[in-house]
This record gives sequence, structure tokens and C-alpha cells, in this order.
Amino acid sequence: MDFALNDIQQMLQDSADKFIHNKYDFETRQKHSKSELGYSEDNWQLFAELGWLALPFEEEFGGLDGNATDVMVLMTELGKGLLVEPYVSTVIMAGNAIQRCGTDEQKAELIGSIVGGELKLAFAATEAQAPADIKAITTTATGSGDSVKINGKKSVVLHAASADKLIVAARTDTDTIGLYIVDASAEGISAHHYPTNDGGRASDLTFKDVNATQLGDSNDVAAAIQAVLNDAVVAVSAEAVSLMDKMLNATVEYTKVRKQFDVPIAKFQVLQHNMVDMFMECEQARSMLYYAAITIGEGNAEAANKASQFLKWKVGQAARLVGQTAVQLHGGMGVTDELDVGHMFKRLTMINTLFGSMDYHLDSLVKQRQAA
Amino acid sequence: MKVLVTVKRVIDYNVKIRVKPDGSDVDLTNVKMAINPFCEIAVEEAVRLKEQGIASEIVVVSIGPANAQEQLRTALALGADRAILVESEANTESLNVAKLLAKVVEQEQPSLVIMGKQAIDSDNNQTGQMLAALCDMPQATFASEVRIADDKVTVTREIDGGLQTLAMPLPAVVTTDLRLNEPRFAKLPNIMKAKRKPLETLTPETLGVSLSAHTRLVSVAPPAQRSAGVKVASVEELVDKLKNEAKVI
Amino acid sequence: MNINFSEQELAFQKEVQTFFREELPEVVQEHINNGLAFNADVTVAYQKALYNKGWAGTNWPVEHGGTGWTSTQKYIFQTEMAKAKAPRQIPFGYSMVAPIIYTFGSEEQKQRFLPDILSSKTWWCQGYSEPNAGSDLAGLKTRAVRDGDHYVVNGTKTWTTLGHHADWIFCLVRTSEEDSKQKGISFLLIDMKSEGVSVKPIITLDGRREVNEVAFQDVKVPVDNLIGEEGKGWTYAKVLLTHERTNIAGVAVSKQRLEALYDLLNAPPEGCPDLKQNSVFMGRVLQVEMELKALEFTDLRVLSSVSTGSAPGPESSILKIKGTEIQQALDELYVEMAGIYALPFVPEQYDEAGFEPRIEPFFAPNAAPHYYNNRKVTIYGGSNEIQKNIIAKQVLGL
Repeated sequence: MDFALNDIQQMLQDSADKFIHNKYDFETRQKHSKSELGYSEDNWQLFAELGWLALPFEEEFGGLDGNATDVMVLMTELGKGLLVEPYVSTVIMAGNAIQRCGTDEQKAELIGSIVGGELKLAFAATEAQAPADIKAITTTATGSGDSVKINGKKSVVLHAASADKLIVAARTDTDTIGLYIVDASAEGISAHHYPTNDGGRASDLTFKDVNATQLGDSNDVAAAIQAVLNDAVVAVSAEAVSLMDKMLNATVEYTKVRKQFDVPIAKFQVLQHNMVDMFMECEQARSMLYYAAITIGEGNAEAANKASQFLKWKVGQAARLVGQTAVQLHGGMGVTDELDVGHMFKRLTMINTLFGSMDYHLDSLVKQRQAA
Repeated sequence: MKVLVTVKRVIDYNVKIRVKPDGSDVDLTNVKMAINPFCEIAVEEAVRLKEQGIASEIVVVSIGPANAQEQLRTALALGADRAILVESEANTESLNVAKLLAKVVEQEQPSLVIMGKQAIDSDNNQTGQMLAALCDMPQATFASEVRIADDKVTVTREIDGGLQTLAMPLPAVVTTDLRLNEPRFAKLPNIMKAKRKPLETLTPETLGVSLSAHTRLVSVAPPAQRSAGVKVASVEELVDKLKNEAKVI
Repeated sequence: MNINFSEQELAFQKEVQTFFREELPEVVQEHINNGLAFNADVTVAYQKALYNKGWAGTNWPVEHGGTGWTSTQKYIFQTEMAKAKAPRQIPFGYSMVAPIIYTFGSEEQKQRFLPDILSSKTWWCQGYSEPNAGSDLAGLKTRAVRDGDHYVVNGTKTWTTLGHHADWIFCLVRTSEEDSKQKGISFLLIDMKSEGVSVKPIITLDGRREVNEVAFQDVKVPVDNLIGEEGKGWTYAKVLLTHERTNIAGVAVSKQRLEALYDLLNAPPEGCPDLKQNSVFMGRVLQVEMELKALEFTDLRVLSSVSTGSAPGPESSILKIKGTEIQQALDELYVEMAGIYALPFVPEQYDEAGFEPRIEPFFAPNAAPHYYNNRKVTIYGGSNEIQKNIIAKQVLGL
């Protein structure tokens, strides 16, 4: 039993921490977020150079064979900066799906380009009516091989505007769920691009007879999509946990200097206990993150699905308490656009809506227990 | 040409320092440690010399506890070729460190030694100077630019009110200032390779150096708490405060 | 990062499982099988069985007859013990006074007290709280006045758990009024059979006698029974508080109780509501399960840092609060699981096997008394509010 980071993870953590510290202060992040692209292409190229884009991929295809814990380490650091680059979309979701499902030729071509920083992808899997339920997908794929036609609608596809290609999940003629590679500029796609509440970008995409190529040899890959979503849950939860840590620290420091009634407000016991509650939620969420990352890394699908649902619930619940209390204790400053705490709160709130909210997962877990 | 670079394990510069309750020393429990920033600049400079084809081998050396290996691995990940750890927990004051380094220099015979000008934990700014003296080598401290040509190193130094340029024959000791370069981020593939690079562990005994304490740490005290800032209503008020309260204008 | 046990640890786990499956004394095994309430004789029989196996001093150093187990071994032991629903080792001797004796006591005191604690020959209780000194423990007033080679002790201790079974009590007493509150406190061992000691029951909400008030009237205590130095008692007690925190969260027992609750939900006994189809209830069960999973990993994080020799991180401070919150949440769930059969008050049927007529489902009438009794866990050992004050000060630096 060991919870310490290994040497490599330690150094990865250090270098990512240094990147956020030196190159990703809040003002810079806001500038990137508000730019036309919505992120920094220079940063993306730096990620490629540093090997971050290669982290979870197999060595054979130019990757570095990282596991869920390695991804957790990197995302924990990048999360501190409220990262706006499409790392989760391209690497953790779409690239991951290619690795799990693609043919060797597809992997060699696409993963190689992701690693090199030349290719960005968006992952258009779940749909608005069921943001975490693969079974509920209604978009259709007809045909097979490289002559597939896609029809349907995908909502709030993260980073679709900057993507060169889309990996789309769709229902097949035989009622299975397959994955398809679609050119982002393909004819028949109508896109509505917009910013998101947390400073990112997303799009609604409508597909009308859009040409696509099947990813991999199988058109029944629901289990692989679920595994991708599990990895994505670990990634955004790692981000959430580090944001919660930052918010707690910021709140502790702020209450020590903010004076009312002639004393620092940190002296008031009711506020102290609020901050202790924040602290306990941070630690419990971190513990759940470790549990999920370790369990998912062990590769048992059933255990991994359960762990990711536990994690998403815990992070949702902890983030709500930590986020709201941090804003509350910052007083009026907490609701200004100027202070980074409010932006962390916004991001935490949006993370809860991704890949199924806390109530979605609680309900799903209840139903699984009831059916057992 | 062989370059020797020294790195020191110190508390990460982002960490808020805590003092032990009895004031005997800084509290290192569960604290994040890192390469001393000036040492990191030294590593970066050596790596650049290698990339320019000037340096052929970079040997990085640290003196400290066993887990200073972590910092040596980081230096290897940044581009050093091999590492030496002189394992020594006690009596790591500047003169002792310089004596140990002098032995390493004697063994390794580098053409250039690059060191941080000071470590951010004890702020001594003396090990480089002592090493140069012990090895009878020329030294240039506070380097903001280092050029090497024809067995000669030319160093631009930051001094009060301007710049000074020194030329020295090799071998020599150079200590780095903040503006010498901006260290790179360690690349993940290099981090992985660093694990396979050689790291040799020595002790003061194997180097034949006996260490005795010349100073004793009496106490450590945290700085006084800073009071909170205030918002001023007008430029006039600000000027008034700067003049009459802060007395800076 | 990994949470796998090593070969040796797995072998140890097997050995522990075998012990609990096959080597418990019959009286203990039957007590467990019949689901009976605490019984002092059964507890002693169990403790003696542990002693014979060499496992009584779980946390003790080997030199005093302890197991010398690693923290992972302790964790394995606690997990298997909970799964077997074994009685609890009464902590006052084993894990409260013994560490103080072997850390601060004289050689003579070690020889005199430790072997009997280990073999369960003596039963100890704790004399800390007083009627007017609870959270503010340092305000305690029980006086010990030196008179030749004796102290004369006067005062009252309260909430003395199982004091009516105890042979000895370890007390914090005031030996000086001059210094600061804390500095005037000493650590004294008192024979419960001494003249002037009286034990009065306090009946708790479950209708049982678990705690007592212990009064001292001119009790003569040999000076030899003082631990360490006069005036250092508070320091010793504080060291103890940080001594053994690995099982403070009670994760293993809570996991066992959660499993048992799922068993009841999956096959509700006649007389119980079918709560499995009640999604609101199931949602609460799941939330407890998830919170417990997180706490299990918090516990493991602490364990892993202790076993690698580093200081436990700040996360260790939340174990007591979160652990007790979960224990109480489980109690609430059990009361609901009992349905209308939470109402009958029939403690007798948990005192002897085969009591007739008994009320079924058997677990149900005990759910509410357990719930009532367990309100104590957020109060004792430093109330959860005090714990929060400590975290605010020591971890957050407020």
C-alpha cells in the first residue's frame, strides 16, 4: 500500500506546477479565454514539446504509457490555472477513444498527430437528454467502413470549434453504439459555437448525412466509451480537487487579513468551523479521487464504473460546499468578476454538470442497487 | 568540455515557511522541496552550453540528505548527463560544502563549475567563492551572461548601477544571477529517461573530508506579520499617505 | 500509488481470518452468533484469547509483549475483527493507560502494571472528565494533596465508562493551584478497591448502565502510583491523544454495519418495511456508503504515511469527525430499517441467548437504543466542535 507519488510523477507535478506558476497567472488565463480561439496555441505547442499530449498513449504510437494516476497528477496541476486549452477533449477523451477502439493504422496516424500537437479533436458522445448515458444516444450511423452517414444532434460538444476532427458516438443499424471519425469541416454539419460559463468553448452540432469513417473494427463500443468517460471524470475531478484546495487557501488567507469589528474575521468561530468544513470536504474529495484513479487503473470495468460514479458524486457535493462557502466568506468580493475565486467557483459548478451531475449518479447508483 | 553544476535541495519558493514552535529551526514536515532556483538557472546554462556544442558532459552534484536524489533526478531530466550525491545530513554549512565540492572537482576535473549565487534557504552567497578559493580557480559571481570561446570564459556580471564584464581562463567558477536565463520546464520523455541516467552516491568519508561545525544555529524566527492594505479614495490621499505615513516621497 | 497488500501481508490476513473463524473461545463465538449485547465476562474471555495468541498488545512495542505490527497489519487485524463482529478490546487498559505507562512510567510501574493489562487480568477505566470539566478538561478540580508517602485524593470523576467493572482507574488530578491550569495537573493510578472510592451508575438513553460517576473521599494513594513527574500529567495525556489514531475513524466496523444493512435491504425480515424500493432511503444509504469509501481512503492515506515513517498529513485530523458522523448516520438508517419494530423496549432479549418470548425481527428493537447511545461518539474524545477548533488552529492556522 502506497499513496506517495513515484519519482516520475513527482517531476511531472513539479514541471506542470512551474508552468502554471510562470505562464498561467489569472490575467493571462482570462486573456486566453477571451481571445478569438479561446485558448493559447503557443501553450498547446509547448504541451506537445513537454510530452503532455503523449502522456496516456501507448508507446508504440508515440505515447508515454501513462495511467490514470499519471493523468490525475498532471490534471491536478493544470487545474490550478483554470486551464482553457482543449486537453481533456483532445487527449483524455477523443485520443483515448482512438487508442481504445482504433485500428493500428488509425492509431498511428491520429495519435501521432495528437502527440505532435498538429491535431485537435472533440469528443461528441453523449447527448443533452442524457449527458452520461450512452444507451440513450439517438444520433444514427448508417453504413460501415469509410462510407458511414451520420444524422442527429450533439449538444454542448466541448472545444468543437477548434477541433480538426470529431469523434462521434452514434447508434448503428444493428442498434449498437459505434464511434466515427468525422472531419470537423465536413459537409452537412451545421455548428453553433459559443463560450461557456466557465470560460471555455463548446458547440451544438447538427449532422445531416455527414460522411464518416468507423473508428476501429467494431461497431459495438459502448464499454469503451464508458471507459473514456471514466477517465474524463478522473481528469476533471483532479482539476476540481486542486481548485477546492486553492479556494480553501484563498479563503483562509483572506479571512486572516479582512478586518471587521476591529478583528480579522478569521477570529470568529462560526467562520472557522465553516472553513474546517471546507477542509474536510477537500480531503474527502481527494481521498475519493485516489480511490477512483487507483481502481480505474486496475482495469476491472465494473469496479471502474462504480468508482467513477462515486467520485463524480463526491466531487459534486464537495465542490458545492467549498465553492459556495469560499464565495460567502469573501463577502462582496466573492461575487465580483475581478477575483479569481469567483471564476474557480464558476468552473467547479460547471464540472458538476459534465458527464452526469451528482444527482444523476446518485440516482443511477440507487437504481443499480435496487436491481441487484 | 566537462561542466560541473551544483544543486541544492531547498523548500520550494512558493511554500510559505513555517517555523518550529520552539524556534529551533524551520519546520520541514510534509513540506514541498525543490531545486534552489539559482541552481536551476545554473543547470539551464550548462544545458544551453551543451546544446551549443560547447559542453560535452554535464555532471550535477548535490550535498545533502538521501532524498536530495529527487533534485538530482530533476536536474538529469532537465538535461544533465550524470549525477553525484554526497550524502551528508549534518554540518552542511558553506565552508564544509565547499570543501566537499573541492574534492569532487579534484576527482572530476571539470573545465567549468556553474553554481547558484546563493541558496534561498540560508541566503549565504559564499559557497561559490569559497570553492574558487579552495581550488585556486578564478571566479565570476552574479553572472547575467556567460560566453565561452578559446579556453576562455567571458562573464557579464550585474553590479550596483551597471554591468561589468570579466574574462577568465578555464577552469573557472561562475555563479548565476536571476537574469542569466529562464529555466525550461522538464519534458516528460526526459523525466522518464532521467531515471536511467547514472547517479552515484558518495559520503564525506569516502571523499576523505572530515566536517566540523564552525557555526551553531541558535534560533529561527518568522518575519513579523504584515498588516493588511487599505484602499484610498483619491490620488491626493495616496500622495499624502506616501509622504506622511510611509515617508517614501 | 497502489493499495495492494504484499505477500506477507496477505499471509497475515489469512492467519487473522483463521483465528476469528476457528480459534475464538466457544463462549465468545456463541455470544456473537446470538447477537447479544456487551457482556464483561465475554469480553474478558475474548481478550484472554487474544493474549494467548500473542495479539493482545496490538499497538504495543515488542519489548513489553506487544505485537510489533506494522500499521498495515493493524489495519488488516481491525478489518477482520470487524467482519467477525468480535467484541471490542476495552481500550482503557490496552491503548490508553498502557502507552502512558510504557512511555513515561518507571521500571517498577512497567513491571507492576503492564503484564496484567496485557493478560486481561486487570480492568482499567479512565478518570478524566468531571461534572464541571468536560471540553475544558484542564479546568478539572479533583485534588491530590501530598501527605508523606501518600496523596490524599478528593473529588468526582464522571462519564467513567464501565467503571463498575474496573480494578484500576487512571486519573488526571490537580496537585498544584499555583501554576497555569495545565501545569498543576498530574497523572495518578488509583486502585478502585481503595477506601473512599465510590461508584454510582449513570443510566444512559438506552436504559443501560455503561457510564458511572466515581467519587473520591480522602482516598489514600501511594506516591509510587504517580506517573512521571508531578505537574506533567497534562503533557502525558496529550501525547497519548496523538499516540494511536489509526482506528479512530472506525472504518472497519462501519463497513461491516453497512454490509449488514444491505443484507437486510436485500432480504427484509418479516415485520420490516421494504426500503429497498424507497429511493429516498436508498439515496441516503448510498451517500453514507460513498462518504465511508472516501473516509476509508483518508484512513489509508494516513496509514501509508505512518508506515513509511513520515508524519501523518493534515488529513488525519478529520478522521474522528467524519468517522463519528458516519457511525451516527448508520444508526439513523438502522432505526428506519427497523420500521415500526423500532418501538419495543426489550433489552432483556439481548442479554441472554434463547430469551423467550422474543420480538422479531431480532435486530429491530435494538436499533433505537443503539442510536440513542451512539450520540455519545460526537461528544466524547474531544467533542466534534472541539475537534473543529483544533483543526482551525493547528491545520488552517486560524
